[in-house]
Amino acid sequence: MRPLIVPGILAAVSAVIIYMALQLKLSPPMIVGHSMQPRSFPIFLMVINLILIGILAWECFRSPPKPVEIEGATTWVSISLFAAFYFLTTYADFFIAIAVVMFILSTSWGERRLHVAALISVTVPLTLFLLFDEVLKIRFPRGLITNWYYG
Amino acid sequence: MLEAVSAMASVMGDPYLLGLITATTVLGIVIGVLPGLGATTGAALLLPFTLTMDPVHAIAVLATLYVSATFAGSITAILINTPGTSAAAATTFDGFPLAQRGEAGRALGIAVVSSTIGGIFSILVLCLAAPMLAKVAYEFRPPEYFALTVFGLSMLASVGAGGAVKNLIGGVFGVWLATIGAERVTSIERFMFGNYELYEGLSFVPVMIGLFAISELLVQSKHAHRVANMVTLKAVKLPSREDYKRIWKTIARSSGIGTFIGILPAEGATVASMIGYSEARRWSKKRDEFGKGSIEGIAGAEAANNAATGGAMVPTMVLGIPGSGTTAIILVGLMVHGLRPGPYLFTEQVESVYQIFGAMLVANVIFLGMGLYAAKLFARISLVPTAILWPIVFALSVIGAYALSASLLDVWIALIFGVVGFFARRHGFSVAPIAVGLILGHMVEVNLQNSLKMFDGAWWMILTQPLALLFLVLAFLGLFGSQLVKLLTRSSRAS
Repeated sequence: MRPLIVPGILAAVSAVIIYMALQLKLSPPMIVGHSMQPRSFPIFLMVINLILIGILAWECFRSPPKPVEIEGATTWVSISLFAAFYFLTTYADFFIAIAVVMFILSTSWGERRLHVAALISVTVPLTLFLLFDEVLKIRFPRGLITNWYYG
Repeated sequence: MLEAVSAMASVMGDPYLLGLITATTVLGIVIGVLPGLGATTGAALLLPFTLTMDPVHAIAVLATLYVSATFAGSITAILINTPGTSAAAATTFDGFPLAQRGEAGRALGIAVVSSTIGGIFSILVLCLAAPMLAKVAYEFRPPEYFALTVFGLSMLASVGAGGAVKNLIGGVFGVWLATIGAERVTSIERFMFGNYELYEGLSFVPVMIGLFAISELLVQSKHAHRVANMVTLKAVKLPSREDYKRIWKTIARSSGIGTFIGILPAEGATVASMIGYSEARRWSKKRDEFGKGSIEGIAGAEAANNAATGGAMVPTMVLGIPGSGTTAIILVGLMVHGLRPGPYLFTEQVESVYQIFGAMLVANVIFLGMGLYAAKLFARISLVPTAILWPIVFALSVIGAYALSASLLDVWIALIFGVVGFFARRHGFSVAPIAVGLILGHMVEVNLQNSLKMFDGAWWMILTQPLALLFLVLAFLGLFGSQLVKLLTRSSRAS
């Protein structure tokens, strides 16, 4: 059963998309004319996908793929940092979030020189902020640092 | 023709553009030598920096990065047995063994010369073929465009690392992603989950950054503690007369192969280099040297992968169908800067088009010089610890994703697609088909809708259009051709 997990997940996603597409409003014929309803194309795509997933399941059943290695701690730490980045951006500041994530990412990936990791984590976001703000004229979201900078 | 030559030559008279090309060539080589980064990720990260540039300059910068990063992958392939880009994977087969024998300089010299010849050849073909193809494409109507995009999608079966079925599944999911947002004719909202920032659909840039840069970051997290060892390099040597005698046919053959493979929608430099390498081996008189440091092997792979860059620009510029992952991002760049890809580009913006081609040509000449005189320095950059490099890529990715629309939603989209892309890759799915599917998705749906309107809902009338039928037959053969041949062979043997 294990080789069929991936095709199973993909089939479930396709089925959910078909269900969601079926919930879309129908457009009056005078607008659509001889063309398709907005739901038709996504449903058509997912039906094709279900056929392809069926072929993939058959392939996996006939010659099971090699088991995928379980991700190491570094990978899970990196993914968790994305969630931390979301919360830090929402409740603190975009650039504080980038600096914190960069520092933890660097140290968790094996950088032992903490001063180097800290230096990179501060200078890179700062340089990019100044470049985008001063040269490319892009305003960044409000937060602790940007509020102070923008006034 | 004279107009084209003068537009290409105008690059030399524009010091600002020349400076941009030189700087981007250096950047491209740096990106190319850093294992894991590559032309596609580099282009995705660079795209937000081009937002305020003049459209021609912006696309010239992206095209230059494509050319130089594709070449640079060979430097680390030869010196540390790690291809900087997937397109240089075939270069490791003979480049590293030759370097281990103490001939790293010779290997790099052959790689850089072959790459330059392949690249320049393909740009010349691009200059000749693109306008001719544009003349044909000028006559395309919705049925032809629909069939062409279906053909492009069918070619996804062979793009990237996954198997044919997995690539097609990825491509179909990519096309579905293009349906997110308000439907064009009826304005009915599809798959928006009440988020009005998605009304115009998913932005391409954050999706590309997520699929290519963030997912690569997670892939690299597995190699976080890897230490690379570099072969000693004294100086890069230009090929000797004897070397030229041995490799000129291989370079010529691989330049042709690379350009042709590049022109095919959704094929790219990686496929080209593999075919270039295997053809070099097939035609060689010294086949037993292959895998042990054959200079023909290096020349075959390198001429082909750089020739594919010019080839891949043909369908991108003329038809709006990307020829590779990187050209998918260049296509997004064209759209972001208001240049409409397609045959009209060759009538409305002909000067701009040739300036972009000129920039690619100049980039090839610049990387020849840099490859010969600064390869040693660039190779050192590849030894930057991953624990420093990838946090910087993270910062570039999130700021780049934000920059296009000044929207935090785009940042979350990049991160989500990064994680999705990572798990897809872990299970043998390539992310390139998802990206290409997303770009082509809108074209497929709109042209199908318009075709149905043209024929009053009679979809089968599409098959009565000769060119549309040709593309659909090609798509069918692309998908089922090999199975059909097997079936026919089996039945003929049985009889």
